[in-house]
Amino acid sequence: MKKFLSLLLAGALALSLVACGGEKQQTNQGSTGKSPDNDLVVALQADATNLDPHVGGNGNTNQVVNEMYEALVAFDENTKIIPALAKSYTVSEDGMSYTFVLEEGVKFHDGEPFNAEAVKAVYERGKANPSLSLSRQIGTKEKPNWEDVIVDSEYQVTIKLVKPNNTFINKLTQVRMVSPKAMAREDAEDYLAKNSAGTGPYVLSERVDGAYTKMVRNENYWREGPKVDSLKFVVVPEDASRIAMLKTGEADFITPVPVTDVKQFDGSSDVKVVDSVATIFRYCTLNQDYTLADGRKPFADKRVRQAMNYAFDSEAFANVVFFGYGVEPTSVYSEALSYHHAMTPYKKDLEKAKSLMKEAGFESGFPVEIVVDNTTIEQRGAEFLKQQLSEINIDVKLMPNESTANAEITSAPREETKVQMWYVNWSSGSYDADGAMRSILHSEKFPPAGYNTSFWKNEEFDKLLDDALLMSDTTEIEKAYARAQEIAWEECPWIFLGSDCNVYAQKTYLDGVVKFPGGTVGFRTASLDHE
Amino acid sequence: MGRYFVKRILETIPLMLIISIFVFMFIHLLPGDPAKQLAGVEATYEEVEAIREEFGLNKPLLVQYFDYMKGLLTGHMGRSLKSNLDVGQLIWDRFQFTIKLVFAGVLWAPALGIFIGVMCAIKRGKPFDIVGMLIAITGLSAPGFWVGLMLVQILAVSLGWLPSGGLESWKGIIMPSIVMGQGIMAVLARYSRSSMLETLREDYVRTARAKGQKESIVMFRHAFKNSLIQIVTILGLQIGGLLSGSVITETIFSIPGMGRLLVDSIAFRDYPAIQGLLMIFALQYVLINLVVDLLYGVINPKIRYD
Repeated sequence: MKKFLSLLLAGALALSLVACGGEKQQTNQGSTGKSPDNDLVVALQADATNLDPHVGGNGNTNQVVNEMYEALVAFDENTKIIPALAKSYTVSEDGMSYTFVLEEGVKFHDGEPFNAEAVKAVYERGKANPSLSLSRQIGTKEKPNWEDVIVDSEYQVTIKLVKPNNTFINKLTQVRMVSPKAMAREDAEDYLAKNSAGTGPYVLSERVDGAYTKMVRNENYWREGPKVDSLKFVVVPEDASRIAMLKTGEADFITPVPVTDVKQFDGSSDVKVVDSVATIFRYCTLNQDYTLADGRKPFADKRVRQAMNYAFDSEAFANVVFFGYGVEPTSVYSEALSYHHAMTPYKKDLEKAKSLMKEAGFESGFPVEIVVDNTTIEQRGAEFLKQQLSEINIDVKLMPNESTANAEITSAPREETKVQMWYVNWSSGSYDADGAMRSILHSEKFPPAGYNTSFWKNEEFDKLLDDALLMSDTTEIEKAYARAQEIAWEECPWIFLGSDCNVYAQKTYLDGVVKFPGGTVGFRTASLDHE
Repeated sequence: MGRYFVKRILETIPLMLIISIFVFMFIHLLPGDPAKQLAGVEATYEEVEAIREEFGLNKPLLVQYFDYMKGLLTGHMGRSLKSNLDVGQLIWDRFQFTIKLVFAGVLWAPALGIFIGVMCAIKRGKPFDIVGMLIAITGLSAPGFWVGLMLVQILAVSLGWLPSGGLESWKGIIMPSIVMGQGIMAVLARYSRSSMLETLREDYVRTARAKGQKESIVMFRHAFKNSLIQIVTILGLQIGGLLSGSVITETIFSIPGMGRLLVDSIAFRDYPAIQGLLMIFALQYVLINLVVDLLYGVINPKIRYD
């Protein structure tokens, strides 16, 4: 295995580090291929779990639902907040209330008008059903985030918060507006699982669970809408089949494209592979309680944790494991997220790593187990890590397991946990800094409350995160988060591995597609150059 | 035979009960937490607890089992934790895809398999036998996913004759039909050959020949008919296997059948869906075995049901 990896490494050196954000057309520049029709077909790896936008689900659910439903505000492709159903908004001085001026003349798919009452109705639905994912934004009865929603006038609404929260506006992008009439139905959940009742650019026309979801253009859309007649999301779990569909023209856009398969498009003249920086950040936790047979706790020593970071070559990791579709880490979360503060990377420095290990008294290393998901790409990453750490005599044993089982193993409380190291990744769905760090680094988030399986506790860091959450001045917020990132970066509660790239492939005749860092893609302005 | 039939049907009741207990036990033995899956990783501890409460996942296992059985006896299989859809409806929707695939495979494979097997037995040691068994061994040893992907590459990508997946047009069924059928064809070819060879050694075959019967009558009326018992048994088992869905065929050709539903449900720890599916699979096997047993009597009237 060592020999194999060093061969791979040698190969990797020949490649230069490829950061995300590229576009690569496969040969024959300027191909004149045209779509035979004006119907856009997108192949996804998995199906949306439910079309009710308040039930929640995985990334594929968001992908499908976002074409039919909209929120008051939205993200652009650089994770900046932009207006959507609200034309503008103002924040009160104390950061407790947000007043939104709504777009006028917008109608839901069922003909109901969109107005301030509709916003209130969404809030009421969330309050009445704590199991809906809406509770993640508006809070639960015991722990509310929103105090109230006040209808100021037909097109003006104010949301009052229980306490200031700088992530509020980011999270509001996930509060999708649904027709009050549809929500008031007795069978609302069943109805919304089969019908669309949003304001979005597409209207649901047909769905076969597990197979496809078809939508047609919303002819009454309130702003510039799609130029395609219909949009169909097809579920194609097998990577090779998705790629075949793009080649044959059965699909116009496929996501995701496994990094190992990108080269399959070499020679396809009408296909381009597109990538962008993802919100996914990869790291490996180091449980500070991990005790060796002789009673010593290697990960409690900062020097050991830093040595492991100096022993790890993140550039080679991106090249070998992700074929160049990876980004070297410069902080504790992806650069695609808010308030990212780039610092000097831990460049591989074996001498420094060895001397730090020696200083800490672990020159001869120690054995350790690493929990990892049993998918190919995860295990390959962990193998790479194992090889890198062997250079400072740390003997890593892989403990691969199915991800759902791992979620349980890693949720064990501090006294019971058997997790020594955990090769994992994290991303913040609402693109905010708090979401990127709190659940995995704050000391209140030791399992089972969160996923801080390093059991790392730094009071200054905790306080910075808590204080920043209540701030509304962006300069202050930026300062606090920058300092928090500096602390974690220096303290090394993890081995920092890097961020991913989202990789897609599409026909060259498709245009106007917006790629979001979270991995979803927007088709509101999509157009096909068709015959 | 009527009494036998009723008796067999009644026997399935305790059997299904035992299966339900085993299924329930094993599912809950799996590590993993559906409430956590449902809430998503960013959910707080309180949100996960709220979901556990809402779906009754915090109740004692025994209570959960009785709740489930109560539902089952009143015709409700519960709601899927993952999609919030009615499990009965969910399985029915997926069943329709699976049954199409089963038909697609069963339509040609058993007939061809038996034909190859019988002909190989008749022409034992001749070139037909060698070629026939070569086909059978290839069908057995070529992995379904490989055959599937090769078919897609050749018939869909290179030649553009067939769609690479889905069942929206009749053309979509051709490639899945080949992958579904290849295994059955191969197994039946092997079994019918050996079964036929065995029967050909029987005394009554020699007697028939001695009587001066025409060779075709000896082969088909005396030998083939008697070797059918074994063939039908194997066919029943094969169809039972197909009915529980073929994850590989369904995945490669993007068909939302029961096999994929089971895999997705297990990954999510969607207890109601897994339970529902496993109960249905068990029932399918029980019923197919019953049909096979009844067919024995049709094939060989000497078999009595007492």
